[in-house]
Amino acid sequence: MLLLDYQNVLIQSVLTERFSGAPPVSIDQTVSDFDGVIFHISTPETKTKIMVSIQIRCFKDLVRYGAEEVLNREYGPYVVPPEPGYDFSIVVDLESLPTDKEARDELVKKISLLKRNAMAAPFEQAYEEHYRLKQEASKFTSEEAPQGVREGGEVKAIHYREEEAIYVKASHDRVTVIFSTVFREETDRVFGKVFIQEFVDARRRAIQNAPQVLFRNDPPLELQGVPGVKNTGTGEIGYVTFGRWTYLRCGRACVLRGTVLFTRHLTPQRMPDVISHIQTFRDYFHYHIKASKAYIHSRMRRRTADFLQVLRRARPDHEEKERKTASGRTFKVGS
Amino acid sequence: MANQTPAVVMDNGTGFSKLGFAGNDSPSFVFPTAIATKGPAAGSGGSGSGRPAVANKPSFLTGGAGPTGHLSTKRGTEDLDFFIGDEAINAASGPGYGLHYPIRHGQIENWDHMERFWSNSIFKYLRVEPEDHYFLLTEPPLNPPENRENTAEIFFESFNCAGLYIAVQAVLALAASWTSSKVTDRSLTGTVIDSGDGVTHVIPVAEGYVIGSSIKSIPIAGRDITYFVQSLLRDRGEPDSSLKTAQEIKEEYCYVCPDIVKEFARFDRDRSRFMKHVVTQPGGRQVTVDVGYERFLAPEIFFNPEIYSSDFLTPLPVVVDGVIQSSPIDVRRGLYKNIVLSGGSTLYKDFGRRLQRDIKQLVDDRIRASEVRSGGAKSGGLEVQVITHKRQRHGPWFGGSLLGQTPEFRSYCHTKAEYQEYGPGIVRRFALLGGPGGS
Amino acid sequence: MSQSLRPYLQAVRSSLTAALCLSNFASQTAERHNVPEVEARTSPEVLLTPLTIARNENERVLIEPSINSIRISIKIKQADEIEHILVHKFTRFLTQRAESFFILRRKPIKGYDISFLITNFHTEEMLKHKLVDFIIQFMEEVDKEISEMKLFLNARARFVAESFLTPVRLCPRYSAYRISRSDSPLVRLSQAGYSGRQGNHICI
Repeated sequence: MLLLDYQNVLIQSVLTERFSGAPPVSIDQTVSDFDGVIFHISTPETKTKIMVSIQIRCFKDLVRYGAEEVLNREYGPYVVPPEPGYDFSIVVDLESLPTDKEARDELVKKISLLKRNAMAAPFEQAYEEHYRLKQEASKFTSEEAPQGVREGGEVKAIHYREEEAIYVKASHDRVTVIFSTVFREETDRVFGKVFIQEFVDARRRAIQNAPQVLFRNDPPLELQGVPGVKNTGTGEIGYVTFGRWTYLRCGRACVLRGTVLFTRHLTPQRMPDVISHIQTFRDYFHYHIKASKAYIHSRMRRRTADFLQVLRRARPDHEEKERKTASGRTFKVGS
Repeated sequence: MANQTPAVVMDNGTGFSKLGFAGNDSPSFVFPTAIATKGPAAGSGGSGSGRPAVANKPSFLTGGAGPTGHLSTKRGTEDLDFFIGDEAINAASGPGYGLHYPIRHGQIENWDHMERFWSNSIFKYLRVEPEDHYFLLTEPPLNPPENRENTAEIFFESFNCAGLYIAVQAVLALAASWTSSKVTDRSLTGTVIDSGDGVTHVIPVAEGYVIGSSIKSIPIAGRDITYFVQSLLRDRGEPDSSLKTAQEIKEEYCYVCPDIVKEFARFDRDRSRFMKHVVTQPGGRQVTVDVGYERFLAPEIFFNPEIYSSDFLTPLPVVVDGVIQSSPIDVRRGLYKNIVLSGGSTLYKDFGRRLQRDIKQLVDDRIRASEVRSGGAKSGGLEVQVITHKRQRHGPWFGGSLLGQTPEFRSYCHTKAEYQEYGPGIVRRFALLGGPGGS
Repeated sequence: MSQSLRPYLQAVRSSLTAALCLSNFASQTAERHNVPEVEARTSPEVLLTPLTIARNENERVLIEPSINSIRISIKIKQADEIEHILVHKFTRFLTQRAESFFILRRKPIKGYDISFLITNFHTEEMLKHKLVDFIIQFMEEVDKEISEMKLFLNARARFVAESFLTPVRLCPRYSAYRISRSDSPLVRLSQAGYSGRQGNHICI
């Protein structure tokens, strides 16, 4: 597995099975996803009404950046008041499903992307802001643009994990996404550094029009004056021994301009994919650090076996000797 | 945040892995413990001898993974190119991939494959960040402590999991039986009959600790029943006698009867007991297969093994009785009273009832004989109870889910910090979850 | 083998061979005990002068001989943070399995990465020159392994970074043929699972 899926596999498989016309059964499953997201699939009233609830720790942040509009747009007819303890719920009635198979699959897909859609709101907002700023900026040359246009929009902070956050900022020529992540373990920190360095170099080396990635240990300029960051700035000292802040800045400008033909058609269409993709960054990153540790483990296992074999050669072989008894019978003496 | 996330419960068995979150009533994923890697399936035949994994650690490290001279050339990304579970089976049917089963006889034999299997289970299927979750894993009885250490090494060093608890499957199966209405006290004393696909174990557990010296294994389990059904189908010359059909028939129609002779007679009297099974063959053609005596004969091989095998002839009730008789005398009463079934091959209708009757008969005969010998003394009798419950199929997993959701579960786990402090040796000991010390 | 490595290993080999002259020697301080004197350090008269063979400041071997045991400690080359962590991981992995290594010490001597303890009992049942061979081969291979692992890590990081950034610049449906390394079904599969909301295929 190279890239992580965007959708939740379990929700997908449960719903696919339920939608396939199998006899309704009662479901009550708590499912976890990355970043501490918890889903609850249940059939609270009748077996035919499946409720899917989601709990995200940064839901408040998301609501501030328009998560509700996005979710309502995506799940409009299915939205219900959230289940207690959860942030957002939808109910699907098995009796009033779309009739053709493709539409059903589409619905399954959509529901399994619940987390992605909830998290997408700030990104979508940043995109819109970017389009707006771009239009405004096109009226000026770069030097004489008014302050507001040059600086771009406000920084949207999504505290998606304890101690870790995503910051999104739109400006007239780019959308900047900043990830902060913490490594609690020395090995992870070192591996992480190697990986990030390659992310930074990737653009220079092979993929010219890939987004620009920058990495630094101190909060980047974009984050100056953002509340939250100041606080963590002081907290950072506490982490020096365990880990550091890793700031990743993925400028989106090059993607939008790039060498892409039909820019006008592509950008809005590409948006959902870019958003889905960028969301998986942190988990992708951590997954690959762990996968390389696993690979290094298997190398070490093999190397250890090699060493043992060399050491075993140091033991003189006890050859099986044939011995004879007085009566002339032979028997073998092993080592 | 780690305070809210549900614990991940993983039960990796020889045949199937059960993965899910604590608190749920069924595992989220059940798929074969198989991994398909690039290259042909190496050493799958040779390493099947079931040698103990620890005594020859190096041999399984080098074995199956190709010559070690390969080491330097493996700088690519071959190690990411693999599938697990059902996808592995699909991939292996095509060219380029070889199928491996990293667990043999309940114990992990190939750690490289197992590590990748876990990695994929966590990131692709369960989709959790292991740093946020506690993990509850299972192990077979008599698992060498070195295997536990290796497991801990992988979970703490590769995955950085927050906390780990390794429980014995049989103990979890006992915990799972607490859902049955027949169980009144939540004790961890009982005999577990765990019958999966490959082998059937009878495991006595006293107050949460396995009585290792009394464990008995029976080489008859689900797969043998399938083969038996298949051979019956072949003998009759049914139009379709594939393994898949045999398995479907086994799962759908089989049950345990109180007496085979009478059952034969009943079948002959009442022709409606013969069933028809419709098989859709790959070409789309539908074939009807008759289902006859195998409905009750197949599970019967547990009780009369001589109808199937020629080298193993001891019926299951006798084995269970023997196991309990070889256990310490002070726990025998508890072991008879709480015989718990677990695993897919114990799901046949009336399996528990028949087992209870047969064991009871053995016990009563013995009591009567000793009454006669003692010359007039009367025995108070002995209660024999076989517990059948709803969660039998994934018994160990469900037990894990039950215990994993208790608030005190986390305090029983070893955390990453503790691991780093003491080293892998720490996982040799775990406080007994759900035992007398618990709630 | 580089120019300076050969004499270094040769020096270690000769010193080790000379030092591996062990005899059974009962403890002088505790009755009926037979302990490795180099570890017990109770009778100074049976300890010989320790010897350090250094290739450079980062690579050296300490040989501590005594009458019935010898301790060899190796400092493995660590040029940077990555190598340091890899060496740490690898030596810990090995010491974790010290049981099957017989001569491996569970804990290295301070200032070194890994230590071996060879007693007269080991030399009695194993061939001395083969033991020396083992140590020398270990020293050779450990360096190789560490640098290979480092290379792997860099290559993997590059691959991972490129694969993450590549789809970003591709068309909405990540069609497999657009990714240069897509001949692996792995890539295809993980992408086939996702289809964008737009069905139209507009590629670059």
